Parts: sequence; structure tokens; C-alpha cells
Amino acid sequence: MTTSTEAISISALSKSFGSAKALDGLDLTVAAGEVHGFLGPNGSGKTTTIRVLLGLLRPDAGQVRMLGGDPWRDAVALHRRLAYVPGDVTLWPGITGGEVIDLLGRMRGGLDRRRRDELLERFDLDPRKKARTYSKGNRQKVALVAGLASDAELLLLDEPTSGLDPLMESVFQQCIQEAKLQGRTVLLSSHILAEVEALCDRVSIVRLGRTVESGTLAELRHLTRTSISVETAEPLRGLETLPGVHDMVVEDRHARFDVDTAQLDAVLRLLVPLGVRSLTSTPPTLEELFLRHYGAGPAAGEQVAS
Amino acid sequence: MTGTWGLLRFMLRRERIGLPWWLLGATLLVLVQSTQSQNLYDSPEALERLRRTVGGNTAVIAMSGPTRLLDSIGGEVVFEIFAFVAIVVALMAMFLVGRHTRAEEETGRAELIRSARVGRQAPLAAALALAGLASLAVGILVFAAAAGTGLPVGGSILFGAATATVGLTFAGLTAVASQVFENTRAAYGSVGLVLGAAYVLRAAGDVGSGALSWFSPIGWGQRTFPYAGDRWWPLLLPLVSSVLLVTAAVALSRRRDFGAGLVPSRPGRARATRWLRDAYGLAWRLQRGNLAGWVVALGLLGVAYGAIADTIEQYIRDNPEIAEFLPGGAADVVDAYLALTFGMAALIAAAYGVAAVLRVRGEETSGRAEQVLATGTSRLTWLGGQLSVALAGSALGLLAFGLGEGAAYGATVSDAGQVPRLVGVAFAYLPAVWLIIAVVVLSLGWAPRPSAVLGWVAVGYCAVVTLFGDSFDLPGWARRGSPFAHTPQVPLVDPALTPLLVITALAAVALAAGYAGLRRRDVGY
Repeated sequence: MTTSTEAISISALSKSFGSAKALDGLDLTVAAGEVHGFLGPNGSGKTTTIRVLLGLLRPDAGQVRMLGGDPWRDAVALHRRLAYVPGDVTLWPGITGGEVIDLLGRMRGGLDRRRRDELLERFDLDPRKKARTYSKGNRQKVALVAGLASDAELLLLDEPTSGLDPLMESVFQQCIQEAKLQGRTVLLSSHILAEVEALCDRVSIVRLGRTVESGTLAELRHLTRTSISVETAEPLRGLETLPGVHDMVVEDRHARFDVDTAQLDAVLRLLVPLGVRSLTSTPPTLEELFLRHYGAGPAAGEQVAS
Repeated sequence: MTGTWGLLRFMLRRERIGLPWWLLGATLLVLVQSTQSQNLYDSPEALERLRRTVGGNTAVIAMSGPTRLLDSIGGEVVFEIFAFVAIVVALMAMFLVGRHTRAEEETGRAELIRSARVGRQAPLAAALALAGLASLAVGILVFAAAAGTGLPVGGSILFGAATATVGLTFAGLTAVASQVFENTRAAYGSVGLVLGAAYVLRAAGDVGSGALSWFSPIGWGQRTFPYAGDRWWPLLLPLVSSVLLVTAAVALSRRRDFGAGLVPSRPGRARATRWLRDAYGLAWRLQRGNLAGWVVALGLLGVAYGAIADTIEQYIRDNPEIAEFLPGGAADVVDAYLALTFGMAALIAAAYGVAAVLRVRGEETSGRAEQVLATGTSRLTWLGGQLSVALAGSALGLLAFGLGEGAAYGATVSDAGQVPRLVGVAFAYLPAVWLIIAVVVLSLGWAPRPSAVLGWVAVGYCAVVTLFGDSFDLPGWARRGSPFAHTPQVPLVDPALTPLLVITALAAVALAAGYAGLRRRDVGY
């Protein structure tokens, strides 16, 4: 059915609730078969975007295509091909976890019984307990098993691991790796950076309802600064005049500074003739990357990569 | 016990909306009954005739109380209304204690409270104090309503005190149940069972030797005989049992962990049965317990009304004033009475239907709808699930009422034909019930937020028109909004097809319009 290689393509999506603007021209492209990280601070519009994709909310403006269809108009047909795991799972108090998994699976058009049982085992979930007795983490597991046990070609995961312990987190990562190998597409909204780094081919960062960055992690890293600490044979001169060098501290033949990753080459050309005795270069951590986008002012939005 | 006072103030604040309604409800029951009774039985002769009719009618005694109360007009008021006031007060005490103890633990909110400088027993103590204060308030209001409508002051004080002690007993009982059971529903269920048993025991006792009534908290109150002897000592029974129950609750709470009960929840199925496969299966699964309860209650109500139908003729001959309240006057008394009871049953069925269809909104605001609608479930199917329970459930309730009334009335007059006749009558009231449900659906589609308020206002309005339209002398235009006002009063009059078809068509239009709204709006807001 899907003619393009894009599982999800959103452009200039806007959605308001009363006077509150939740989405303000958001763009998002997820290629078929990729695991796409969807990042942003709380209230930045991630959940609203996913609800639009689920056909629960009607967009005010913009184009949204998913699996070759219109998420609002073709909701029921599209839902048979996707699985959704919310970040805050509420269940029916008097119904057991096992029953919920079966029910949601059947509503989606059937589930793989063997995989269901295998997932229950891997996530160490007792399906016989009534939902009211589950902890937050266990409710989350119910939704995860229900979603992962399906044959869906697209997984929409909205902070699916909130409340899971580290052991279960690693089980989750394995499951997503397997889904990727099976050729499924995953949109993963998450705050857990290690998870994103381990799983995602590409990421999009949203802020205040707009996309501020999108690309592979390598591409995003490229846009940030690398920390350099260097010792040279000759006294250091001329470095501070180079473009892209920041926060420099020089002590005779020793310097510490940050450099825009794009300017790294020019800096090294200047250093080599001075006789490099030692050099450590620290690539930007993911934390720095995100904190810059989460916390920085609107200027951060001007550096959209793709 | 540290923090009890602060918690109590917090609880009072949380109950500031709900609690006044309970108090108002109990007060109104006494107020209306006292006024009505004093109008109807305004002479010693009228009261004497009533004694004669009721004395030989076990059904009326079973529904109300011991006949000794009929010695005075004040006693007659207690006879008619005490059991119902007691039920209201018992439920109030149950919800107050349950909501602030077990429900708080179940949701985890109590954990926050207990992590503060609050003693282990403080939430229980504060909840009991709250229920105690509320019971005291009911007692004072009942006294005021009784004395204010001209009944003797001494008896009114006893009437109020007897009412208040019912609240204390059930507060203590709920405190125990909240320790025993892990979830609030089970605690409410067990207390509800005791309340039902209390009513049945006193009914059996009042009809028989009276011994069984002494096992019932409702019986204890009635056997103080306010205005008919005024004895105070039976109130020792509820007072002593409240103290014992509270002591037991405190002892039990010391023996258990936070969040745990003495009876652990049983594990359920690991796999869903084949019925639980779509929105319909889910809705019926969620509502089946409730539905069964309502259907049985309506069936039993039918039996109770049906059992006294035959004696109505005699009763009306003795009390011609009552005939004014029957739609057909003194002629066709039994059919008029049956029509009246169906009107009441239809109101109850409508209330059930509204509660059932409002589950749609509950699913939406809780976020559960999101998970269902993210599957291959269309909005039509999602709505259809809960709606089918509301429509079919209210129909089942009305049919059960007809069946119960037909069977009981048929048994007293030895006419099995009454069963199919009265079951058939039930169908005449169905369109009006469905129209009210359809109006709620209309609101769910276009204005979901006020749908609950709107639904209950609609039921309340219809109840006022049906029950008080004549006594309040409501003008015609004020009644026209109620579909029940357009429903032929079967079996008193023949069922006219036209109004029933019009009401059904209106319901269908409202349902379709509601669905159209639901299709085009955002879900979850």
C-alpha cells in the first residue's frame, strides 16, 4: 500500500487547544524501516503529534501522511497496521493484564500468541493480576507486550519505558532492535538519552511545537562544539583569532578551548606547525546536545540541519 | 493520631460539594413525608382507617416498618420514611469513610499524606470523625424537619437521634470493611450487602414476631418508636456496636501493611475469553456486575409494588384522598396504580441508562479510550459498546420490573396472564427512557464536558414532572419537555402508537446527531 519510502511525513502541522498553541508548524519525516527518536522537553508537542497520527485529534493546518494514508480519514484501516504504547498507561481496574493484552490485540486484528507468551516471560509480567493491583511499571509492561506482540509495521511509542527498571529497559531495547531487524518502523518519543543513542537511526528534536533539529546523531554532533585540551612545543599564538573558537584558556604552551566541530580542521592546521606534544579531544555528549536545544532560546531553531 | 485535625479539615473541604447533597436528600425525605402524611391523615379517623388497611397488609409492613408506629401521625411518618432515610444515611457514612480510607490507599494518595507528619491511625480517625459529624448533622436536620413541620419536639429529637446512630453504625462497619478488603469496590460491596440484609431482616421481623428486627441496624432505629412511646434504650445497640466496630477497625489496621488488606485480591484469568474481543465485549464486561444489580433491584421493586397492587382498591376506598395522586382517579384504581409504578420504574431505568452511557465519557477522560481508538476500533464501535449496554440494560431493567410486578400481582389475584400483560406494558415506557439516553449521547458528541451534568439534570427534571407535577401544580408548558409526559399511561389507557413512534424517532435522530458530532471532534479533551 505504501508507495513512498516514508512511513510518516508531517509538514507545517499546527494544532491549538483554545488559545494554547500545542503545535506550531511542526515537520517530521520518518523513513520506512528506521527507528526515529522523537525528542523534546515536556509540553513541546510530542504527545499531541502522536495523537494527531492516531487520528484522535484533527489538525488545524498542515499535511500529515502515515503509511500512505490520511491519519484522520483512514484511521481504522491504518490502525490495523500500527501499534501504540502510551507513556501513561491507564487500564480497566477489574480486568487482568493478560485479558487487556488479548483484548487490545484482537481489536487490532489478532495477535501472535507465541510471541505474547514469550514477551510476558521476557518482561517478567504476571498476566493474572487485576490491573488495579499493577504498579506503574507493570501497567507500562502490559501496554508494551500488547504493542510488541502485534505484527504492526509501525510502532508509535510515547515514552514507553517510563517507570521501567534498568533490566526491563534493556529487554525493551532488545525488542526494538528485533523489530528493526524485522523491517518495522518505530517512532520513539523518549527522554532517556542512552536509549535514544542505542536505538535510533535518526532523531528529531521539537521545542514549543516546532522542529528545531532533525538528522542522524552524527549530523547533530557535527553542529556542536568539541572540547580540546592541547600542549605544544612552541608558545601558542593566533588561536583566539580563528572563527569558531570559544572559551579559550591559555597558559603559555598549554590551552583549553571549545571549537565548533565544523572548524576543527582549521584549528588543527594551525596547531600542527607548533609541534603538538599532547592533545585530547572530547566529542560533545548527547546531554550537551539536548540541553542546548531544550534550554536555549529561540535562536537554537535557526540551525535546522536538513 | 498526629495530624487528625488537619486531615479532618482537608476532608471537609474535599466533601464541601458532595456532602450537602446527602444532607439535603435526607432532610427532604422527612420534610416531604411529614407534610404529605399530615395532609392525608388529618384526623384520628383517617389514621384509624390506615391502621386497619395496613395492619392486614404484609407487603406494606415489609416495605416500611412495625405497625405500632401507626399509633400517632408522627409515628406514621417514621413508619413510612425511616427505612429510606436510614439507607441514605448509611450510604452517606459508607462513602465518606470508604473514600477517605481505602480509596485513598488504593490510589496511592494516602502514601503522600502518611509520609508527612501524620500518625498511622490519623486518616482512619479523621474519616470516622467526618462520618460522625455528618451523621450528627443529619440527626439535627431530621429533627428540624420533623419539628419544623409541626410534629412533637420530644419524638422529633428521638427520630433525629435514631437516624444519626444508623450513620455511626455504618461508618464503623465501613471502617472494618476498609481494613479487610484490598479494594474499595469490595469494601463497598460488603457494606452494601449488610445494608441489604438489614432491610430484609427488619422486613421479616416486622412481618413476623419482631425478633429478627433486632438483628438490623434499621430495625433498632424503628424500634425506638418515636412519637409512639418514645423509648430511648434501643439506641444503646447502635452506640455499642459502633464502638466495637471502630475498636475492631483500629485493631485490624495495626495488623496489616499499608495498601494491603486481610483478604488479598484473587488472581484472575491469564487469557481473555472469546467474548472479550471488541468494544462490545469490553463494555458488557465492564458493566455486567452493575447491570445485573440494577436489573435485580428493579425486578424486586416490581415484586414489592405488585404484591400490594390488589389491596390498593381497599386502601383507596379507605383513603379517598390518595386517589387524587393517581392519574385515573378512583376508577380503574389498580391500573392507575400500576401505571404510576411503571412511571417510577421508568425513571429508575432512565437513571441507570444515563449512568451507563456516561461511561463513554469516563473512558475518554481516563485515557483508556485512547488505547482502544488506537486499534482497529472505529468511533462508532467504541460508542456502540457502552451505548448498547445503556439501551439494552435499561430495557432489561424495565422488563424485569414488569415481570416482577406481573408475577407478584398475578399471584395475588391468581391470574398468570398478568405476567405477559405487564411485561408488554414495560415496552410502552421504553422510548422515553431511550430518548433521555440519546440526549446524553447528543451532548457527548457536541459538548462532552457538560454531558454528565446535562444527563442528571434531564433525569431530575423528568422525576420532578412525574412525581410532583400535580402536587406542585406545574403548568403544562413546564411539563412538556419530559418525554414521560407524552408517554401513554399504560395500562390505565391504551397504548397510542403515534407518541411512542415520535419519541422513538426523536431518540434515533439524537443518537445519529450525537454520533456525527463524535466523529468530527477531538477525542480526549
